[in-house]
Amino acid sequence: MTRLQTLQDFYQKHVQPYYRDAHKSQEEHKPIAWVASTFPIEILQAMDITPIWPENYASICAARQISVQLAEIAENQGYSRDLCSYARTVIGAILKEDTQHLPEGGLPKPDFLVASTAACDTHLKWFQILSHHLKRPLFLLDSPYNTMGADADHLEAGLIEQYVLQLLGLIKFLEEQTETTLDRSKLRESLALSDNTSNLWLEIQGYRKNSPSPMGARDAFSAIFFMLSIPATKVAVNFYQALRDEVRNLVGKGLGKIENERYRLIWDNLPMWFNLRFFNYLNSLGAVTVAETFSHVWTGSLDPSEPLESLAKKYLPNFANCSLDRRVNLILQLAEDYQANAIILPTNWGCRMMSIGETVVKEAIFKKLGIPSLILDVDSSDWRNYDEYQVKTKLETYLKTLK
Amino acid sequence: MKILESFGRILYERHVIAEKWKAQHRPVIGWNSTYTPEEIILAADALPIRILGSLRPTTLADACLPRNACSFVRSTLDMALRGDYAYLDGLVTSNSCDNFNKTYDLWKSYAKIPYFHFINTPHTNTSVAHSFFCREIRRLKESLEDAFRTTIPSKAINRAIQRCNENRVLLKKVYDLRRKSTPAINGVEALEIVLSSMLTSKEQHSTLLRQLLKEIENRPNPPKPGIRLLITGSVMDATDLISITEAVGGIVVADDLCTGTRYFWNLVSASKDPIDAISKRYLDKIPSPSRYHHRNGRFAHIENMIRRYDVEAVINFLLKFCDTHMFDAPLLTEELRSQGIPVLNLEWEHTRSGIAPLKTRIEAFIETIKGVP
Ligand code: SF4
Ligand code: SF4
Repeated sequence: MTRLQTLQDFYQKHVQPYYRDAHKSQEEHKPIAWVASTFPIEILQAMDITPIWPENYASICAARQISVQLAEIAENQGYSRDLCSYARTVIGAILKEDTQHLPEGGLPKPDFLVASTAACDTHLKWFQILSHHLKRPLFLLDSPYNTMGADADHLEAGLIEQYVLQLLGLIKFLEEQTETTLDRSKLRESLALSDNTSNLWLEIQGYRKNSPSPMGARDAFSAIFFMLSIPATKVAVNFYQALRDEVRNLVGKGLGKIENERYRLIWDNLPMWFNLRFFNYLNSLGAVTVAETFSHVWTGSLDPSEPLESLAKKYLPNFANCSLDRRVNLILQLAEDYQANAIILPTNWGCRMMSIGETVVKEAIFKKLGIPSLILDVDSSDWRNYDEYQVKTKLETYLKTLK
Repeated sequence: MKILESFGRILYERHVIAEKWKAQHRPVIGWNSTYTPEEIILAADALPIRILGSLRPTTLADACLPRNACSFVRSTLDMALRGDYAYLDGLVTSNSCDNFNKTYDLWKSYAKIPYFHFINTPHTNTSVAHSFFCREIRRLKESLEDAFRTTIPSKAINRAIQRCNENRVLLKKVYDLRRKSTPAINGVEALEIVLSSMLTSKEQHSTLLRQLLKEIENRPNPPKPGIRLLITGSVMDATDLISITEAVGGIVVADDLCTGTRYFWNLVSASKDPIDAISKRYLDKIPSPSRYHHRNGRFAHIENMIRRYDVEAVINFLLKFCDTHMFDAPLLTEELRSQGIPVLNLEWEHTRSGIAPLKTRIEAFIETIKGVP
C-alpha cells in the first residue's frame, strides 16, 4: 500500500501547530473567532482573525477517542443523545472543568462566534449555546436556502443579493468587534489565495481519476484540513503544491493506494472520525475510495474582482444548503468522472441533513447509472451509534453483489 | 357542550371538509410551517390547511426515511404516501427545520401533488431579512396566481388579513377563559380549538368561536381544576398527551406550541402595504426555536405566558430528533427553575405506543408539585 510522504505525521506537523499558534494568539490578545462550517472564512482571514473550527476539534476528539466522554458531559446537562455528536462533544469540552487533558489543551477561547444557516439547524442552536456559556457575541449569517439546488452559474439573482447583504452585515460586525476596518485589497488577496487553494485541491482530486488511484479517503480526510480551516493562506497553498507534486509523481509511475482495485468507491458525507482505520480495512478488501462528496462541496472558484458575489457563489451551492438534486448530481458526476463502481451513503445519527433523503439519492443513482449504493447507519464522532460488526457484514455483502 | 364538540369534529373530519371544499372547485393547499402566510393562500380563494400527522404506524414512510428522522415528519409523509392527502391541490412549505426541509425532497419525489411551492424563510428578523421575506411573499403570490390562473388583488389580501386577525383575536379571547382560577375550558379542548382553526374557513371558525364565547359562561360541566400547566415543545397535533396529563391531576392553561400560541398570538398590523405588514407579522412573531431573534424571544414568551395564566409548572414535550427544541431544553429548564417553576422534559414519539409510557412520569411530576409524598 502506497503511503503519501507529504501526509506523514500530518497531525503533529500541521494540526498541532495550528492550535498552538491559536493559543498564542489568545495570549497576545489577537482576535479569535469560532466558526461553523459553510462559513465564508475568507473574510475572517482577510481581517487577521484566527478562525477556530469546533467541528474540526470535535473530529480530533473523536480520533483521540474522547468524544464520547465529552458528549456525556453535555448529556448530563440535558442535551439529548440524539443531537449532533459534534455539538455534544464541543459543549462537553467547554463545560469540562479541567481542560488539561483535552487535546491541544482545549479550544482557544473566542472573542466572538460566527455561524451561518447554510448547513443545518444545529449550527444555529449549538453556537447560540456556546455563545451563552462563553459569554461572547454570536453573528448569524442568515443564508437563504438554495431551493432549486442551483450551481454557481445558475443561482437566482435574489439569493446572491441576499447573501451579499448578509456579508455586509458580517463585515460590520467584525469591524465593530475588532475595532478595525476591512482592507478591501486584503480581502482580494484572501480570495485569491483561497481560490488558489481550492484549485490545487481540485487538481489533486483530479489525479484520483487514474487507476490505480494515488490517494484514498483516509488521506483526503486528513489533508482537507487546510481547505476547511485556513484556505486563504500561503501555508495551505504550499502544502497542496507539495501534495499535488507527490500525487502527480505517483500517477506518473503508475503507483496507487492499492494495486489491485476491484472496487472504486465514492463515499458520501463524513467518515467515522473515531475509526479512520476503517478505510484501511476497505483497502484490504480491494476497495479504494476515489472520491468523497466532502472533498468537493467545499471547493469553488473565487473572483477577487467581485469578492462578495463570488463568496455567495461559492457558499450558496454547498449541498448542505440545497435540495437533494444537488447531492444526486454531484454523486452522479463523481461516479462518472472517477469511474466508480460502488457508492457508500453513510448517514449520521445526529445529523438530519446527512441522513434524510439518502434513499432518494440511492434510487436516483441506480436509475441513472445502474450502480447500487449502500446506506450505512453510522455517526461521525459517537461510537455508541456505530455497530462495527453490522457495518462490516453489510459492506462485505454489498461488495460481493457488485460485478 | 355541543359547541365545544364542533371543534373536535372539524379536527377529526378534516379530510371530509377539505374534499367538500374541493368539490366546490376551489383549491385546497396544504402547509406545514407557521411561517407560511396563510393570508396569501386565502386571498387566492383557496383553503389553506395545516398538514397534520396521525398516530398510526408508518410502514410506508419507514421504507424511505432513516430511523433518525422526527416521527412527525415521518407520520405526515406516511399519510401522503398512503394517499390520505390525495385531495391536495398543492403544498406550500418552508425551511422551518431540517427535518421538514429535507423531507420536502421526499414529498416532491413520492407524493402525487400537482403544485409545490417553497418559501425561503429567513432565520432572523433584521430589516434585510424583512425585505427578503417581502420578496418571498410576493413570489408566493405570483406563483399561486400562475398555478391557479387567478389574480390576487391587494383588496383580497387586505380582506384575508382582516379575517385572520379576527380569528386570532377571538382565539385569544378563548385562551383568556383559561386565566380564571377554574379555567372554563381544558387543554384538550383548547388544542382542538386551535387545530380546527387551521382546517376550515376562517369565517366559519370565527362564527363558532363567537358562539362559544357566548355560551361558555353557562357551561354545565366545567373542567376539573388541577395543577396549572404550560406545555411547550415540538409540534402537537393530537390531544392524547394533554389528555393523559389532565387525567392525572393537571390542567393545561397555556402553551408555547406551533399548534397553539405561536400560531395565532400575533396580529398583522394595519399598514399601507399589506405585504410588508404580513412580513412583519410573521418574522416578528413569537419565534420558533429555529429562528434567531434578539437572543431568547421564545423564552420571554414562555415567561410571559407563565405570568399571564398563573402557571405552576411547565412540561416540555420533545419529539425525538426534533433538534431545535432539544437544543433549547437545557437552558430553558435552567432559566425556569431559577424562577422557581418546576419543569418536566419528556421525550416522546409520534405514535400511540410512544405516548402511553409517559403517563406515570407526568403523574409523578404532578404529585410532587401537589406535595404528595
Ligand atoms: S454533522 Fe450535521 S448537524 Fe452536525 S454540524 Fe455537521 S451538518 Fe450540522
Ligand atoms: S417536530 Fe420538530 S423536527 Fe419535527 S417537524 Fe416539527 S420542528 Fe421539525
